[in-house]
Amino acid sequence: MQPTLEELSLNARLLIRLRWVAGFGILIGTLFVSAVLGLDLQVAPLLVIGLSVLAYNTALSFVSHNDIPRAGFERIAWGQILLDWLAMIALVHFTGGITSPALIYFVLHAALSGMILLPWQVRSLTVLAILIVGGLAWLERAGWLPHVAIDELNLHNNLHENTTYIAAVMFFFGSTMFVLSELVTRIVQRLRQREEHIRQLLEARSTFVRVATHELRAPLAAGLSLMKNIEQGYAGELTEQQMALILRVISRLEGLRTLIDDLLTLARSREATAAHAPLEPDSVRAMLVKIIERETPNAEHKRIALHSDLSDDPGVIMAGPIGLQIILGNLLNNAIKYTPEGGDVWITYEVSHLAHTVEVTIADSGIGIPAADMSSIFNEFFRARNAKETQITGTGIGLSTVKTLVDRYRGVLTLESEEGKGTAVTVKLPLISKQTPREPL
Amino acid sequence: MAHKILIIDDDPDVVLALRMPLESAGYVVSDAHSQESGLKAVDQIKPDLIILDVMMDTHTAGFQLAQKLHGPGATEEHKAIPILMLTAVHQTTPLRFSPDEDYLPVEGFIEKPVDPKRLITEIKKLLQK
Repeated sequence: MQPTLEELSLNARLLIRLRWVAGFGILIGTLFVSAVLGLDLQVAPLLVIGLSVLAYNTALSFVSHNDIPRAGFERIAWGQILLDWLAMIALVHFTGGITSPALIYFVLHAALSGMILLPWQVRSLTVLAILIVGGLAWLERAGWLPHVAIDELNLHNNLHENTTYIAAVMFFFGSTMFVLSELVTRIVQRLRQREEHIRQLLEARSTFVRVATHELRAPLAAGLSLMKNIEQGYAGELTEQQMALILRVISRLEGLRTLIDDLLTLARSREATAAHAPLEPDSVRAMLVKIIERETPNAEHKRIALHSDLSDDPGVIMAGPIGLQIILGNLLNNAIKYTPEGGDVWITYEVSHLAHTVEVTIADSGIGIPAADMSSIFNEFFRARNAKETQITGTGIGLSTVKTLVDRYRGVLTLESEEGKGTAVTVKLPLISKQTPREPL
Repeated sequence: MAHKILIIDDDPDVVLALRMPLESAGYVVSDAHSQESGLKAVDQIKPDLIILDVMMDTHTAGFQLAQKLHGPGATEEHKAIPILMLTAVHQTTPLRFSPDEDYLPVEGFIEKPVDPKRLITEIKKLLQK
């Protein structure tokens, strides 16, 4: 089973971070062991190895960015391991060849490659590692390559020329490499299979929730539409008592509708925030324009003025297929919902190529949030005291969903509010370059 | 002469909820209950406006019908009829909403449950265009 693109990208970054430690470790270790402990090391070649590791790691960190395709990451994964093994064989050679304590690093690296490559690739690389180490031992044994001895290790009995010793080391080295890489590969494969199984279960659950919610919504929407006809007098005049009862029924059904809608949003956001949900380039501006169009009738109905100040920049970010729709839709819908009739809602959108961010602020002249409730406002199912006191229906799912999604997209969500004066929510998301947004479905 | 409005929706209760305020406002209302019968009704009735539901015989029947009526290859006669799409904020189809000419060629949206006053306002707005 193949690793996901996100897994490849994360592993590539993990290897890069580890390699900074390794590169500086070789430089500092060499200088420390040579200068402080006084061991007779080949300082210059070892420093060159350390600097080479840092140099190719710099290059790798430049090419391992989010915009590259899957094949690119796979090539980088191969390239990283091959470059590391060249550096390691040089390190082994200059620290004693077959007698080098650095030999153990190959075993560690085999485990790492088991995490990021496919089983056949790991097996091939393990064979290659054994051939490289065996080849080095043979070249030194035959005298075709000078053996670098570290006198302080007290290995004066020329172990590198002892065929039995070389064979024994190669046997234990090779078997450890194979067993460890095989174990790691199998564990990783099993984990990937389980992850795929969980993904399928989550998908089945989401489908069930979607279908079930639709089946609940459809009759409710039809019933409410009919009730509104009665309320607005299209089925004849009502007595005061009949009208009061109809309004109570409508209010209860609206509450039920909000709950169903929010549960649906929650189910969809769970899909969008799931670790397996792929992220693709998406234009914040395009989605914001659509959301404003969608919400304009709601604002007009409450005579709320929508003031928008939008930059022309498309503002492309990495997001899930419905993530931006949920984030922006929830924030604007909330602003309109919690602003009394005749109020104002301001939408500002700007892109900073310097800070590499897209920023959307939605502010309103609504009921605001009490200071005591601010710390809990992003909690699931939490509703502010003054919101509960109004007739406005809500479930407290919306903002927590928005927060989860913004976190998933590595953005920042901030909220400023004063009870009775209004609320301003700002979403800051990391901008990407070069890519064009996906085609709308 | 009164404007003719065609409602294409498979839910008879929604059709009734739309029909009541529309007839009360003086429009002549007809209805159809599937993508296929809707297309036939458009040619027979030649409505001035179509109210179209998204999910009918399939989850995307409304989108497909909108494409047939206003998308590439549609006749000028069909393109001239404005479409008001009945939708839900939390549309449970894999498709994203948008009144974008390229992929969802409709002139406006009205949310379910339908508020009769808002329905009449939207219809008047579209018929004036």
